[in-house]
Amino acid sequence: MLRSIYLVARRDYLGYVTAWGFWLGLLITPILFSVGMMVPAMAASSVPVRYFTLVDAGGEFHAAMVEELADRRVRRARDLVEGAGLLLGSDADRAAALERFDAAIEAGDTPEAAMAVAAPQLPELQIPERDFVLVDPPAGTLDGLRPYLTGARQVDTEDGPRPLFAALIVTEEGVEYWSENVTVDGIKALARRAASDMARNRIFGDAGVSVDILDDIRAATPDLLEKRLREEASADSAVTLADRAPFFVSVGLSFFLWTLIFSVVNYLLMGTIEERSNKIFDTLLTSVKLPHLLAGKLIAVLAVSLTLMSVWTLGGIAATSLGVSFLPGEAREMVGAIAAAALDPGILIPALISFLLGYLMYGSVFLAIGSLCDTIQEAQTLMTPLLILLMIPLFVVIVAMTDPESPILAVLSWVPLFTPFLMILRMPTDPPFWEIAAQMALMVVSTGAILWLAARIYLAGAVHGAGVNDAMGYLKRSLSFGRG
Amino acid sequence: MAEPSLVLNGATKRFGAFTAVDRLSFKVPAGSIVGFLGPNGAGKSTSLRMALGIMTPDEGSVTLFGETPELSALRRVGFLPEERGLYKKMTARQTVAYFARLKGLTASAANRRADELLESTGLGAFARAKISKLSKGMAQKVQILSTLAHNPDFLILDEPFSGLDPVNQQALEEIIREQHAAGATVLFSTHVMEHAERLCESIVMMARGRKVFDGTLEAAFDALGRRARIAVEPGFDLPAVFTETGFQLERDAADHEDGADWWLVSLPDGRSAQGALRTAIEAGAPIAGFMQEEARLRDVFVSLVEREEARGRLAPDPEPELQPEAL
Repeated sequence: MLRSIYLVARRDYLGYVTAWGFWLGLLITPILFSVGMMVPAMAASSVPVRYFTLVDAGGEFHAAMVEELADRRVRRARDLVEGAGLLLGSDADRAAALERFDAAIEAGDTPEAAMAVAAPQLPELQIPERDFVLVDPPAGTLDGLRPYLTGARQVDTEDGPRPLFAALIVTEEGVEYWSENVTVDGIKALARRAASDMARNRIFGDAGVSVDILDDIRAATPDLLEKRLREEASADSAVTLADRAPFFVSVGLSFFLWTLIFSVVNYLLMGTIEERSNKIFDTLLTSVKLPHLLAGKLIAVLAVSLTLMSVWTLGGIAATSLGVSFLPGEAREMVGAIAAAALDPGILIPALISFLLGYLMYGSVFLAIGSLCDTIQEAQTLMTPLLILLMIPLFVVIVAMTDPESPILAVLSWVPLFTPFLMILRMPTDPPFWEIAAQMALMVVSTGAILWLAARIYLAGAVHGAGVNDAMGYLKRSLSFGRG
Repeated sequence: MAEPSLVLNGATKRFGAFTAVDRLSFKVPAGSIVGFLGPNGAGKSTSLRMALGIMTPDEGSVTLFGETPELSALRRVGFLPEERGLYKKMTARQTVAYFARLKGLTASAANRRADELLESTGLGAFARAKISKLSKGMAQKVQILSTLAHNPDFLILDEPFSGLDPVNQQALEEIIREQHAAGATVLFSTHVMEHAERLCESIVMMARGRKVFDGTLEAAFDALGRRARIAVEPGFDLPAVFTETGFQLERDAADHEDGADWWLVSLPDGRSAQGALRTAIEAGAPIAGFMQEEARLRDVFVSLVEREEARGRLAPDPEPELQPEAL
């Protein structure tokens, strides 16, 4: 028995890993992941510089706008310090870095200098290039600006002639915003803040109150210190990255399992379709029992997924080991905290069980679908509703990122088809043991039932030649019997 | 007496309302070559799949080497299915060795056997070529070699000649003879009767799911009876000549387009076609033509089917449904 399972698994495994598609997936997946993670930063850095002008006869709004642009640059620098401060470890360290930044700005430092003072241990931070540039108005009226706004003419800028993106015109009724682009809101937001600051300054001035009072209010506002109960009373109760790491890891693992399972079960689908079209089952079934054939096929693809996991994990460890030496000590601690969370048996063991059962569940479903289909087009007919259903766990992962104790997550984690991806998201919140045990038991029973049903469908499809229409017909008959 | 390699006893297989195989019983004696004959759709492949345990009979039983067709018995069987298929990305050598290993050979023995077989059939130069790169004929040869790789005691070949060119059909006939000479039992299905005429000792004939004949080739021809055709000038009363001679005459319905009157003469045991001709000549019949009928297996088959239909045993079945109970 074991020998025939081994031979089937070995043949299928070698068939998969010697195909160029496997190597493509092996290499391209981490690259795509890396690119995907960099997309937001790339999108931010690739925003084009947009030139706008301001017609303000009085000059008060113009001054407010210039100040707002300068403040915006400071805010962006502060955001950078705050974001990079995540690498510093505790909230207290991050708050201290921000305090140093604010003090430097207060003392008249440039944003660059303030950033260097705030977090000297971090790599040099770059403020994103300016995206909106205020230029002198080429004309004083809307009619005069019209050819610039339509692109017929270009305005003179420090960078040479450029298209005019928008124009702000101060009138008695307010500030008019003119632009052919109706989706980019950045200049409108700047103008609103400038107008608000201008009004605030005017009202505070009329009331004889210094605007600095707002800074005093901010300074007097007490800090919100995030704390957590510890088992040892003497332990530091401040929330650190180590407390958050299990949540990051559970979300990452859930997404990883989803991606991995759906990367590899396609092998089963394609392999079975190929074997069905090759008419090879009769030959195989005179040498191997059907359950052994199925087991061999599932083991082969499981081995493919373990190969992928091993290569990616080892690659990730190697890359992290190399990269971590360039990180400051606090960042190294963060990597250590995440690694410790990933290796925590409370997360790792449920993750491995989820992967194994999830793989068997979905692998057998795809195997059954493949056995009914002669072409991938036929398979798509059956797979489309399944794939739509399987998008649900992905949406729930997004919910779990902000609220791992969400009732939606708690309820959907009881649905056996979703349990492999959702149970792990709950682990950092320490759900009752009985819930985890019951969900695992339900998952085991469901996997067994799905395997049994898949084997029946496989027998009908692969051995007896039943097709998609037969399966649909059978389903309809079953439903009509149910109604009758 | 050696135990039969295969025994089907009242084996019946239904797909919904359609009965594909109806109470089929026959034996394949050890060391024999048996032809399993019938037109397309007669139920041959379903019967063979029951014989191999791929399908379970709804009624009746199947024994292979005296036991139910489980893997232990199937290890001794080499099966060539009607619908051929191989893994296209495997090489010819890997393919033969893989199926040999599935039948129990060790890796080294399987590889050695694959090399031997490929060399002996002229495919040695293509041993490391992928199946997808081979011609259809070569791929079929590789599949046949995969069937033989573990030196089976019993070869079950389902339409083995279909898709092969005449040269490869000849080569396959040689392989079957060699395997038989080496002691293997052979059961092969075909709808081309000539192969059975050349190869078989005994045959089983099926039509519409039922057996219409089971016996030796000689007995099959005897079932048809021997006949001769005699033509006389129009108007001559040939039946009067043969009265009380033991020969049976009936008008030959075939259109001979020569204007003569043709008669079919059934030859009783011990009487020859030449004897019938001599009787006619001696009676002064104006002979216009004479043919000694060479009985062919296809004539035997047609005759047997007509006989069974006349007896009402081969009523047409409803159209088959595609195995709904399998789900």
